[in-house]
Amino acid sequence: MEMQFHIEGGDFSGAGTASSEVKKVLKQLNISPMIIRRIAVALYEAEVNVVAHAFSGEMTVNIESDKIQICIVDEGPGIEDIEQAMQEGFSTASDKVREMGFGAGMGLPNIKRNTDEMKLSSIPGKGTTIEIIVKF
Amino acid sequence: MMAKDKYTHAIQVDTTTCIGCSHCMKVCPTQAIRIIDGHANIRPERCVDCGECYRVCPVDAIYVRDDELKVMQEFDHRFALIPSVFIGQFPAEFTTSRILQAVHQLGFHEVFEVEHAVDLMKAEYQRQSDKLDSLKPRISSYCPAIVRLIQVAFPSLTDHILQLKAPHDIAANYCKAKIQNEQSDVRKPGVFYITPCASKIVAAKAPEGERESPIDGVFNMNSLYNKVYQILVSDDENQCRKQMADLSPDSVNWSLSGYERKYFNGRALAIDGMENVLEFLEKLESGQISEIDFLELRACDQGCAGGILCPGNRFLTVERLESRQNRLEVLLKLNQKLNNPLMESASELSKNLSTDPILPRSEMLIDKDMETALQKMDRLKTIAAYLPGFDCGACGAPTCRSLAEDIVKNKASMSHCVFVQRIMEKNYKLSPEQAFQMIEKIWGKNRLNKYVDKNGNIDA
Ligand SMILES: Nc1ncnc2c1ncn2[C@@H]1O[C@H](COP(=O)(O)OP(=O)(O)OP(=O)(O)O)[C@@H](O)[C@H]1O
Ligand code: SF4
Ligand SMILES: [Mg+2]
Repeated sequence: MEMQFHIEGGDFSGAGTASSEVKKVLKQLNISPMIIRRIAVALYEAEVNVVAHAFSGEMTVNIESDKIQICIVDEGPGIEDIEQAMQEGFSTASDKVREMGFGAGMGLPNIKRNTDEMKLSSIPGKGTTIEIIVKF
Repeated sequence: MMAKDKYTHAIQVDTTTCIGCSHCMKVCPTQAIRIIDGHANIRPERCVDCGECYRVCPVDAIYVRDDELKVMQEFDHRFALIPSVFIGQFPAEFTTSRILQAVHQLGFHEVFEVEHAVDLMKAEYQRQSDKLDSLKPRISSYCPAIVRLIQVAFPSLTDHILQLKAPHDIAANYCKAKIQNEQSDVRKPGVFYITPCASKIVAAKAPEGERESPIDGVFNMNSLYNKVYQILVSDDENQCRKQMADLSPDSVNWSLSGYERKYFNGRALAIDGMENVLEFLEKLESGQISEIDFLELRACDQGCAGGILCPGNRFLTVERLESRQNRLEVLLKLNQKLNNPLMESASELSKNLSTDPILPRSEMLIDKDMETALQKMDRLKTIAAYLPGFDCGACGAPTCRSLAEDIVKNKASMSHCVFVQRIMEKNYKLSPEQAFQMIEKIWGKNRLNKYVDKNGNIDA
């Protein structure tokens, strides 16, 4: 089944709605609670990255019997150096974002840790696309 | 792994009194209630015995299955286990020792305060916080409604729950060991707990993570309060003992909100009230909250002072317990030393503090088979999109989404929705008679009569 969500840049209070909704659906399927937890954590980090770093984004979630596939395409500044962005502790978060408790540079590494596949691509100046897969 | 044992409940509906008003359905945190045939139906697999429904029922149709006092009779040495919130129900003019004495007179051989076990737990909390690993935060196992809520609605958090017995359990073990040592002629000792809530009844009868319970009966605090009050007002004060410094002062507040967490080193939060807990766990489960070491959660506002079976006002109870803490502090200074009898058996009791892991329950599943479940989910989504989204409850389900869920599970049909019904009627897909029958199936034949009874007259 497929689900779609719109993510608005800068909307910190709204961040988490998509991952909550997806979690609600996953809980009704016969998926191990630990895997659900991993998906929810990865989704939330990806959602917050759009909120914190981009202008707006679209999330598409595809659930099949053996895996979940999530794709988030955003419009925003993009990422110059993907390898650097993936490093633990690397962050370009503004002071404002840091004040809200984000910007530890742990989001992307956390997504990587919690998923089976992760693809990050970006066109600087245009936007970023992240695709993740978690197998059940 | 999922929990497999039988799932028992203390919260029940008296269907003859219930008017099917749906108040309970709206407040149930796990959407366990539906209105069918004119009355509330609790789906046992989802109920966590929190008692939110009990609080809002306008006609007292929700009741709690407890034990009658006479179950004591088959035991030849009877302990009353009294939680400190019980003391907090009474006006300050009745001293703790008078209240304990009055309980004694109801037919017990000994009375023992549950919070004696708290000193042992404090030490254990130190140990647990010292060996804290990556599994953060640890969640208190104190409130059984919370433990069940997590099993049913937040299954991925079950392994965060401390594998630690409740104080009433530890206190009961102490009482039983004590009587066996002291009086070998006692054949059948019985321990009876006075409960502030329904979930503690279930916990005492069928504790999660334990094979059997040391508690032999559970009495409703509400009904016991009346009996004790009668004794107190007709009593002569002189025969009462002096209070002793046998409880650590702050132990008396352990069941309230905000005391337990002080004993867990690190960043520890106390959250009370079902809605607050739900909001927090939702965020915690999706990784939106991190770096917290301990969560003390209570289903009731103000912790057990707000338990559904507490007759008194929760804020007055908190006030009384806090002033008792102050008095115990003074006593302790005078006596120099604490005389908690339970701590003499501390090393023995410590061996028996932990429970088995708490396992999740799979009650939210729409289907066990993944392919089927996905198809049903797809259908659910489509149906939900057609329903109006008012969550009016007229269909007998708490939200439009839960009706959609019931429909795909073949437990309800599209025409349960009054809005869909109206459209079907207009388009002649449903005759007015059929619509009427449908409504009758949800709200019951005698609904009007029940309302007349409730309001006294039909004009109202
Ligand atoms: N969607 C995005 N658009 C633009 N830049 C991004 C995006 N996602 C990540 N980045 C860049 O990658 C960096 C690292 O991201 P990461 O999620 O690991 O850390 P963070 O968001 O800065 O902090 P944290 O996630 O710990 O709150 C970000 O600081 C930002 O520069
Ligand atoms: S907070 Fe106390 S009274 Fe309320 S449900 Fe939990 S254990 Fe029972
Ligand atoms: Mg981030």
